[in-house]
Amino acid sequence: MSRIDKYDVIIIGGGHNGLTAAAYLSKAGKKVLVLERRHVLGGAAVTEEVFPGFKFSVCSYVVSLLKANVIRELMLPRFGLEILPLESTFTPLDNDYLFRTSDYDQTYKEIYRHSPKDAENYMRFGPLMGQVGMAVRPILETIAPNAIRPSFNDLMSLKSIFNHVQGLNNETFEYLCKLMTMSSADFLDEWFEFEPLKATMSASGIIGTFMGPRSPGSAYVMLHHYMGDIDGSFRAWGFQRGGTGELSMTIARSAMYFGTKILTEAAVDKVIVKNGSAIGVALENGDEYKSDIVISGLDPKLTFLKMLDESDLPEDFVNDIKKFRIRGSSGKVNLALDGLPNFTSLPGNGPHLRGAISISPSYDHLEKAYDDAKYGNFSKEPYMDIILPSVIDPEMAPPGKHVMSCFVQYAPYNINGGWDDTKREAFGDAVINTLARFAPNIKDLILHRQVLTPKDLEKTFGLTEGNIFHGELTLQQLFSFRPAVKWADYTTPIKNYFQCGSGTHPGGGVTGSPGEMAAKKILKIW
Amino acid sequence: MVNNKYDYIVIGGGLNSLIAAALLAKKNNSVILFESNNTLGGMASTYEFSSGFRCNLVYDYIKWLDERVLKELNIKNNELEIINNDIYRISLDLEGKHIFFHRDNKKTIESISKISKSDADKWNDFTSFISKVSSFLKPLYKITPPNIQKIGLTDAISMKNLLNPILSHGTRGIADILRTLPMMMPELLDEWFESKLLRGTLAAGGIHHLNQGPYSAATVLNFLHQNIYSGTNILDAKFIKGGTNLLPSILIKKAKDYGVVIKNNSEVIKINCNNGKCDGVSLADGQLFFSKNIISGLDQENTCIKLLGNENLYPYVRTQLNNIKYRGSTARLHFALKNLPKIKGVNDDQLQTVFSISPSVNYLEKAYDEVKYGSFSSLPYIEFCISSLTNPSFAKNNNHIVSASIQYIPYTLKDNEWSDKLKKDIIKNVTGILDKYIINFSNNIIDSSLSIPLDFESTLNNTEGSFNHGEMTLDQFLFMRPTIASSQYKTHIKNLFICSPSTHPGGGLHGANAINMINEITK
Amino acid sequence: MLQYKNSKNFTANTQMKISPFFERTSKLNMSQEWKRWGGYLSATKYDLNHDNEYFAIRTKAGLLDISPLYKYRISGKDSSLFLNRLVTRDIKICKIGQVMYSTWCDENGKVIDDGTIQRLAENDFRLTSAEPNLSWLELNSYGMDIKIYDESNKIAALALQGPNSRDIINSISSKSINSLKFFEIIDTKLKDINVSISRTGYTGDLGYEIWINPDDSLKVWDILIEFGKNYGITPVGLDALDISRIEASLILLDVDYISSRNALIEDRKSSPFELGLGWTVKLNDESFIGSQALRIEKKNPSEWRFVGIEILWEDLEKLYKNVGLAPELPHGAWRDSVPLYNKKNQVGYASSGCWSPILKKYIALAHVNSKYSSLDTILDFEVKVEHFRYLTPAKIVKTPFYNPKRKISCPE
Repeated sequence: MSRIDKYDVIIIGGGHNGLTAAAYLSKAGKKVLVLERRHVLGGAAVTEEVFPGFKFSVCSYVVSLLKANVIRELMLPRFGLEILPLESTFTPLDNDYLFRTSDYDQTYKEIYRHSPKDAENYMRFGPLMGQVGMAVRPILETIAPNAIRPSFNDLMSLKSIFNHVQGLNNETFEYLCKLMTMSSADFLDEWFEFEPLKATMSASGIIGTFMGPRSPGSAYVMLHHYMGDIDGSFRAWGFQRGGTGELSMTIARSAMYFGTKILTEAAVDKVIVKNGSAIGVALENGDEYKSDIVISGLDPKLTFLKMLDESDLPEDFVNDIKKFRIRGSSGKVNLALDGLPNFTSLPGNGPHLRGAISISPSYDHLEKAYDDAKYGNFSKEPYMDIILPSVIDPEMAPPGKHVMSCFVQYAPYNINGGWDDTKREAFGDAVINTLARFAPNIKDLILHRQVLTPKDLEKTFGLTEGNIFHGELTLQQLFSFRPAVKWADYTTPIKNYFQCGSGTHPGGGVTGSPGEMAAKKILKIW
Repeated sequence: MVNNKYDYIVIGGGLNSLIAAALLAKKNNSVILFESNNTLGGMASTYEFSSGFRCNLVYDYIKWLDERVLKELNIKNNELEIINNDIYRISLDLEGKHIFFHRDNKKTIESISKISKSDADKWNDFTSFISKVSSFLKPLYKITPPNIQKIGLTDAISMKNLLNPILSHGTRGIADILRTLPMMMPELLDEWFESKLLRGTLAAGGIHHLNQGPYSAATVLNFLHQNIYSGTNILDAKFIKGGTNLLPSILIKKAKDYGVVIKNNSEVIKINCNNGKCDGVSLADGQLFFSKNIISGLDQENTCIKLLGNENLYPYVRTQLNNIKYRGSTARLHFALKNLPKIKGVNDDQLQTVFSISPSVNYLEKAYDEVKYGSFSSLPYIEFCISSLTNPSFAKNNNHIVSASIQYIPYTLKDNEWSDKLKKDIIKNVTGILDKYIINFSNNIIDSSLSIPLDFESTLNNTEGSFNHGEMTLDQFLFMRPTIASSQYKTHIKNLFICSPSTHPGGGLHGANAINMINEITK
Repeated sequence: MLQYKNSKNFTANTQMKISPFFERTSKLNMSQEWKRWGGYLSATKYDLNHDNEYFAIRTKAGLLDISPLYKYRISGKDSSLFLNRLVTRDIKICKIGQVMYSTWCDENGKVIDDGTIQRLAENDFRLTSAEPNLSWLELNSYGMDIKIYDESNKIAALALQGPNSRDIINSISSKSINSLKFFEIIDTKLKDINVSISRTGYTGDLGYEIWINPDDSLKVWDILIEFGKNYGITPVGLDALDISRIEASLILLDVDYISSRNALIEDRKSSPFELGLGWTVKLNDESFIGSQALRIEKKNPSEWRFVGIEILWEDLEKLYKNVGLAPELPHGAWRDSVPLYNKKNQVGYASSGCWSPILKKYIALAHVNSKYSSLDTILDFEVKVEHFRYLTPAKIVKTPFYNPKRKISCPE
């Protein structure tokens, strides 16, 4: 028996962007239904108790980019938003270490130990990046104009961006241009000389992308990661109490507060299109829901190629979406530990375990990891971004025990011969072995381990190819080209069908921005 | 008494300098040009690499020549003749399944269809796509890059030509070019082709003289740069009848006709400045020359850092100049041969062409990987020509020469210094590779000579041996070439201008840099 | 003398850099108030308030740990050429054994930092500065035959400032420093310890700065304290120093101006002329970094001036009287910018100020529009009296506010 219900808006996918859009639309008085395939909300931002007593932010693991105005406007603190700061970045080296904190003098002293000049330049670098971030933000917060046939509004927003750029000072403009085009390695080489520092900083230019630090374009990804702000302080990374899933729940609670209805274990099969217009969705279980507007929070491939029939869409658009590059490059290893890892270069417990731990001793380490992936293998000695959430938030693990989250690159989706259980375990072993190079006791501490390959990320979270950004952040896939030219303003060729996932401008990360901007766009034209 | 006052002093005797000097003299300016070497022509010159054997120093062929050079200098077709060989490039395959690139695309398609039917079917669409996209770039190559940040009405008007392609192709083309330019070669190729050899050969066009692998973003930009005037003959290579060095000799003649005073063996050691303006140059032999404007055909490092000197260089400018990426990546290896070489699967009448050894994209990328870690490619990308066929004076008595461009041979090595032994190893290695394609090659060799980027830096004075005077990457393109503050052929010194390949639109024997600069400074 | 008898067992722990004198200063600091200075912990004041320390500087001798200063050793054939291009003053006229104060600018003539340059030998200089400058020095040393060595951690330094400072040093120095002139430096021994002593300082009083091998630092401290006892030597903190330097009208980086390297926006940058340091700019035939811009600025003076102002007492007193209070004066020096008005239009701002305990005047250093910068001009200075804002007249006066003869004189 099929059910028929009528809503103003149906949102496919209960990820953070879908939920954000839902909250904004409900807040504006619309009757909204969110349909989530899984039993939990949050998409890639979920917390699950994978092993009894051990809770993991299974996929997305830090919060840095969530927009302050989204937090304010959706009243997220009231619904449980509590972001605990990650106060440092620790890069273990074979005989030494690099340690940066949020304190100016302490960081200066640490970097000075390795290179006096770098210490000095580092202190100038941060504020300058702040200027560049300020310069980019208005661009990120503009609905991407149609580059082929701009409307009057598009021209106006282009003009205001143009004016904005003209108002920048020379230095900021220069760095902006360079960040848009260079490799993160080349960009950082202009500033610094100590390689572990450069490698660690460049690593944010490869996260979630299929590039090495020496690949042009990685500087932009670095900038994308620099945009994070918590309480206005630049690039302040944080960890949501209770895990990233709790963050999604706060958005969900906000949405429900405003009146959104949320259904889990409700997998959408198709968007129902009638006369070129979306009129509702059909679930895999046969249920149908009708609505004036359907929004997809999925990635572009699923949004268009799965949810719709190709025949409903213009041919060149289908081609564009097929060409849209979504390449999975990262995996995730979650460990339940019996105690804390002991790093050879900085033994014992300390502030270095309360922040991010970056396995990025040199450019070559990252490049070699990339080379493996380039030719279709997982990295034998991968780059890792590690945090120990239980050190910051004891509720994540039983007393005395710990959870460790390792974001790992590279693990290509299209691995030679395809992913299987043997390869998954071998990948897990490579991660542990690399970690053991710097913290030898890790092997004795592991109680459980969960290894997620891009294939697993795709299967579990519905991320095409396991790409955490719903599409690579390369220059040709940004702004008016994200996900396809002419359709970068959250609209689609199907009337009343919209998109709000990370595959739209301004791209991935737990920002809430695509959801917010899609909702605002829809409300404007409704 | 020697006249030592001129309207313009031109430093360097390369192609762009000669064009600039000739054009300025044509406009009734008194012009003097200084070249430190004995011969002029810079990267278009020839030299005797072995007794009785000559070769093209850098370029065996040209990709394109700015048509304005011919027009404005009144160079006639019979003065400069381009050889229209039917087969302009052969991509070699170990098994002999070569791809022949013909001027007649039908024949090219036939050749491709032997290895992939699907690729052959797409060839026509691909070539017209590329020529459409490059038609958007073409007008851009003829203008001074606008100061994008402070763009004003005059800039906008000067850019109206840019709209022509839009009128013929519509705005979708703009979207295509914006989407395509920043791509990496394999990304573009994934959208079209499947055959490894074809993909490799096209990808090689994207890494030409670049110190990056095909997997680097914006290698498509470099690919388009090479093919901007190729039309549908993708990867075109044009031989000049009589050899590449005919080009500079014609230009020298034109320049002299217009009254340019040309001084070879005259090394400029200093550009003299006063209060932010330059007023002349000092030569190595102590002579002083004065002028109202100075034009340099040298790269930024040589012009601004070495010749201007500390006292005329601002720290911020220095920082920007220091950050220019030169990174020479190509070596030239010349072989003196007893007889005309024979190549498996290629007829003797097809030899006057360019041969490419680029079996796959990954082959090229792996060649780059080694450079990334500070070594040189053990299996390099090789492109070679039998230049004695085009220029019979290169070898006598039925002898021949083969000149090969080898990528990647970096300027510096990480854990090693360049030495004769390493160079010998490279020669041996490349000979070994060529042996697999050219019948009886090793036994045919009389002599060989290798020039690595380090050598080019000392002979041609181009920093880090970069033929492009700075890499052709997205961050050094258009209004960011050579630096964001000096992209309009200008420098921080008011009356010092640069027309070298370090400026927009970049390297190659095309002369567009000089023409654009002249248009800019005589505006 | 105060007895610090209870502090013997105390050692402070910090993640900051540790000055070689920290062993002593940490135990002496009864207030436990510290400020950060160049990544070091620096005593704000040793006593519970700074009055005694201030008066030590003006009437006896104050001893201040200045090790956090950045020190760069510049040596080699081209070192004077290099410095001459770097700084705005003419270094060629600096004799061996002489010290020069100078600013250095970027190419637009905006000040990056200021500091002293000691000429230790023909081709051997030491440059001191408030902020790190290594990358700037190296950037501009391209192609020159010089060595730049960051000796910030390798040289400990103490400032001994005040009228008795000469006598204290003479009592322990192997050489008399009676003939050491203002801005000169000599090598000598304090008891058996090799040190260099320069007649420089940041207080505008008679005073010396002692440059010491860090290994000897505690010995030198102890000797000075022991032999200075009878001359009233007193360890002083940054609060007392701040008042002294305002009285002497000496500018402070990041308080009175921002380095052009860190300014982020143009409006934050200042030229030497705008900082009242026009006298350090020597525009001769030779060029230095920024000379071109400064030459132009000299012809077309910019609209900003740096001046000293005195907040007029009677008017201030009246404002307080109106609310029934005696004037409440700032106890220490302040550093928040305070607006200055001319007929309700803001024409400038004071960047630091204090009540001068010795002059009995309320003084401040200020940036003002040049139209309003001539001596005796009266501007309106903003004050808050009982939570409400008022304007009170302030007069532009000659600087330095306090300039005792002994600062530069030598004994007969």
